[in-house]
Amino acid sequence: MKIAILSGKGGTGKTTLSVNLFSFLKKATLIDTDVEEPNSHLFLKGYDLLEEGVYKKHPVVDDEACDYCGACGNFCNFNAIIPAKKKVLVFQDLCHDCGGCKLVCESGAISYKDKEVGKLYHSTIAKNKKFIYGNLNVGEVSGVRIIESLKEISKNEEILLIDSPPGTSCSTVAAIEGVDYCIICAEPTPFGLSDMRMVVELLRAQKQNFGVVVNKSNLGNDDIYQYLDEENIELLEKIKFDREFASILAEGKILINHSEYFRNKMKNIVKKVMGDNCDQ
Amino acid sequence: MKIAISATEQNENSRVSDRFARAEYFIIYDHDSLTFKSIENPAKKEGSGAGGKAVKVLGDLGVDIVLVPELGPKALDALNAFEIKSYQYPREKTVREVIYMYFEKKLPELLVSTSKGRH
Ligand code: SF4
Ligand code: SF4
Repeated sequence: MKIAILSGKGGTGKTTLSVNLFSFLKKATLIDTDVEEPNSHLFLKGYDLLEEGVYKKHPVVDDEACDYCGACGNFCNFNAIIPAKKKVLVFQDLCHDCGGCKLVCESGAISYKDKEVGKLYHSTIAKNKKFIYGNLNVGEVSGVRIIESLKEISKNEEILLIDSPPGTSCSTVAAIEGVDYCIICAEPTPFGLSDMRMVVELLRAQKQNFGVVVNKSNLGNDDIYQYLDEENIELLEKIKFDREFASILAEGKILINHSEYFRNKMKNIVKKVMGDNCDQ
Repeated sequence: MKIAISATEQNENSRVSDRFARAEYFIIYDHDSLTFKSIENPAKKEGSGAGGKAVKVLGDLGVDIVLVPELGPKALDALNAFEIKSYQYPREKTVREVIYMYFEKKLPELLVSTSKGRH
């Protein structure tokens, strides 16, 4: 079973939930696809660390061979290659690596070059517990390629948790593609509610099954519960805010190892989402 | 010499657009024949890379100068590659007004991009 954990914006406890659900499960793999700001690894200390680069191809044009026929620009759907007067412009970040421009170039002026866009870090946290996170290189604008790599290498995992990028961008869409269930992390504030609504719309458009975990449930107001009720969305669990939790998290520790309350919450969520699927 | 202006409607009295690459129309003023022509901007609905595409369309039409409200980094790179100069107009004017302003040398040339491109 593949479960994505997501939120309308950062800072709603998404990583805390991902890391603790992962720690609660006996057998699972966690991937952190929030590649612009990965932070699950701050809580998970593993061994057998392995680092690998993620590469993306982009066209390079040989100005000598090019006769400025314009074919490559006409072919490209992404405006990533634009033949101008005396040179052909390539916008690397727009290129989707489809290979088409090279095929249509009759002068053989186009070749492809690899560029590292980021890195993956694999580690083992315990027996049957794998953790992989991605990190986008500075200056790169799209993490989609790295997310796709993370999804690809974990596609055969039996139980996969996906810490997804916040918001509703292409990165989020890439992270949740093909999952069985999504858990939205939200907070009971007016902003929290409107951010969450966007995520709900996205998940409905993608025909995903989902439920909501409300963090800081002892703060804010009741609007969020009313909304969930009206929209018939499953409220998986309410988790209160506690000063003690904050200080445990600040030390990079796993909450379920220090709070019976939190461990029970994870247990309930796992039961509701995975049902008989889990043998905890 | 041809000057292109991003516009909200299809004639020289229309208001200039607040956006360059996603403007509704381009009005093209031909200073040799003193005529105006308008084209619908084919780049306005592009998911990504509208800046480069809009410049390519104008470059292929032989435009030498563009009058714009702002420019993203890709549009600016493309303008340089097509050897098109760009000048920035103030908002809320008409196409005709900004052309006069250009000839009166009241519009600053844009040498660095003023907005972040969309991806
Ligand atoms: S298709 Fe090849 S020859 Fe034609 S403009 Fe592009 S790079 Fe140059
Ligand atoms: S490889 Fe595909 S997406 Fe990239 S520039 Fe060429 S045609 Fe465009």
